[in-house]
Parts: sequence; structure tokens; C-alpha cells
Amino acid sequence: MSMFRAKRLDLGCFVNVKVIRDHTKRKVFAEHEPERQALRYIIRNLSLPARTRAQAQLQLAQMHCYTRPTQIRNRCIEGGKGRGVLRDFKMTRYNFRMNALAGSIPGVKKAAW
Amino acid sequence: MATATSMRLPWRAIVRSVTTRPTTQSIKTPPAASIPQPFTRRWASDSASNTPIGNEFASASLERAAATEIEGTAGGAGVDAESHNASTITTTPPSESSPTESPEQPRRETVNPDTVRPPRAVQAAYLRPLRRPATHGLPVCDLQLRSYSVRNLEFFADFCLRAAYYLGLPAFGPIPLPRIVERWTVPKGSFIHKKSQENFERKTLRRLIQIKDGEPETVEVWLAFVKKYAYYGIGMKANVWEFEKVGVGRTMDAEMEQMRSEVEPTLRQFAFKKGSAVEDKVLELINRGDFKAASGGNAPMIRTPTYKLPKN
Repeated sequence: MSMFRAKRLDLGCFVNVKVIRDHTKRKVFAEHEPERQALRYIIRNLSLPARTRAQAQLQLAQMHCYTRPTQIRNRCIEGGKGRGVLRDFKMTRYNFRMNALAGSIPGVKKAAW
Repeated sequence: MATATSMRLPWRAIVRSVTTRPTTQSIKTPPAASIPQPFTRRWASDSASNTPIGNEFASASLERAAATEIEGTAGGAGVDAESHNASTITTTPPSESSPTESPEQPRRETVNPDTVRPPRAVQAAYLRPLRRPATHGLPVCDLQLRSYSVRNLEFFADFCLRAAYYLGLPAFGPIPLPRIVERWTVPKGSFIHKKSQENFERKTLRRLIQIKDGEPETVEVWLAFVKKYAYYGIGMKANVWEFEKVGVGRTMDAEMEQMRSEVEPTLRQFAFKKGSAVEDKVLELINRGDFKAASGGNAPMIRTPTYKLPKN
């Protein structure tokens, strides 16, 4: 969403529409997290009136989808791909293999056992 | 004859190579009278001029060091040794052939390779690290070193042990802890073809150095020193234990009583941390117009509950 997007590029890795979008989602989520948690707390708090809790439920449901943590997906820092990304290296399996064979990843070697 | 490679060797090796030089080899030939004085002199200058400059300097300085050492030990014995003693040679280098030597006075040298030894501190660097015995055996600090390379790890563990020795700490180790092996299997190609895959692994090696019976301040100094001279590719983590006197429970209870005024409000906040963003947000939301309206806050005869009042 363009209203959330940074006016200037604030990324240093491989840049792609999807990468920028994911980055924006991460920032928006971080910004709105206290609000989400507050609403979740109100919803679950049995000592509050039912109507207040219902109101909080509505509020939470109406929040922008970019504020949801489920929208965030790990992407490859080298190619921007969204699938097959190794969490340990933030890289796709193929980019990981290339880097590992080149010796750019500390300690990673070809295994034989 | 001393070669340029001997510069890379440790101290003792250099000494050995120096003794094989022609000047010093003539020591081993028994009759000193059979070697004419100018002959040895010329030989010495020849060998000095053949060797590279750096090595010549090194060997010259070594000779000087050896000479001072021998003078200290056997200076009284050699009176006028060049006439009758086989192991003594006067090396008066001609001033025109070797400019590095000082031309003021003939230097008397008695080189005995068996008695020449490096200083103890230098010698210790080639031996296993020294250790101090523990009197009580109470573990005070556990330092764990992690690395992907054995070489660096062993070197740095050695360094840590030496540092502990010179700080007077009884150190134990390095104890090799189990390796952490992580493995990844990825398809070789960028697309399909799952049948051809490749395995990668990363082995993290660990070493544990334990300090026993150390003063807490000394242990901190040691940790700071080790941190200051941290080696590349090595991670460190330390567990430090503190020991109290007998009757800790009573002192802790007294401390708790003192802290009660500070702790109680924190303990009451079971849901979130005090002053967290969520807490402020909850109050802000609950006091918002639409929330109040939803719970009938604007209707007549409904009082505002205390929990809905703003904080200030």
C-alpha cells in the first residue's frame, strides 16, 4: 500500500517490488503492534463489559491487513524469492549453495559423513 | 651456514644455525693454535658478507647476546684464552668488510651452545601454558569459546590459559565440549530435479576454560583482557558465579523487605511490564469515545467505572 511505503528507498539488499512490500509490512506491523496487543488484551479480559470487548473485536478486525504479523514472509536477500528460503542464512536454497561453495558463509562446508 | 629461512624459526633454532656457521664451527676443532688468527678472521668476514643483511644483523646481535651471557657465567675463568683455550676465539672483524660491527675493540667470545638459553619468558612461549593449582576447587567462572576453526580456537584457548596464569588464576582446561553440527541439504539446481541434492554442514567447536578459586575482581580483569584481545572468528561466553557468606537467606529477606515498595507495584502488573506501550494503549482505547459509547458510557445514569478513568 502506497500510504505505508517509505518515500525513499530504505533497503540495502536485493530490491524488488515484493521485497519492498514485505519490508513495508514489517515496518507497519512493528508500528501498530502495541495497538493490536491492547485490543487483544481488551478482548480477552473478562472483567471488562461485554460491549467493550465486542467493540475491541470489531476494531481489531478492521485494522489494516499490513498490521498483521501473518502478512510477513521471509524473503531471499540475494534474489527476493519467497520460497525455499533458509532461515539460518536468509537466502534461497540455490543462493545458499552458491555462497557456501564459494566459501562466503563462515564455517559452512560440503558435508561428507 | 645460517640461511634466510632461519629468520622464521624460533629463538633456539636460530641459535643452532648460528653455531653451524664457519666461525663458530672452528670452535669444535680442538687445537686453536692450528688455526691462524687472520684465517678465521677472513672467514668470518666472508660469511658475514655472503649472508643477507637482515640475517647478518640478527646473527650479529645474537652473537653479542651470547657473548654477554657467557661473560656473566664464565668471565672469571677465561683470562687470556686465545693462546691455550680451544673453545675461545677472538673475532676482530675488519672495519672495512663488516660495517655493522663496532670497530672500537676486539670482542672476546666463548660460545657454548649447551649453556646458551633464551630468557624464561621467551622459553615459556614454546612450552605448554603454565598453571596454578587450585586450593579449594570452587568453580568461579566458566569461559566457553566457540569457533569453526580448530586452529584459532586452540590458539586462543592457549592464550586465555597463559593470561590466567600471569594474573594468578588457577585455570582448568581447555575442555573440549561436544561439537555442534548443523546440516543442510539443498537441491543442486535452481529449479526442480529433487533427486540431485547436496549436503552442507557447519561444525561449531567448543572449548571450556574453568577458573577456580579466583577473586571476583581478578576474574573480571581476566575476562576484560580476554575480551580486549579477542581473536578473529571466535565467540566467547562466560558464566560467572558469586559466592556469599553463610546466612544468605536472612540477608536476602532483609533486602526484599527494603525493596518491597519498589517491587510491589511491578508484581501487581501481571499482564504486562510497567510502562509498556501496550498498557498506555489499552487505557487510551478504553477511554476513546467510540468505546465509551459502545459500553453505554454516554447514556444517562451510567457512571464511569474507575478502571476507565484516565491515568493522570
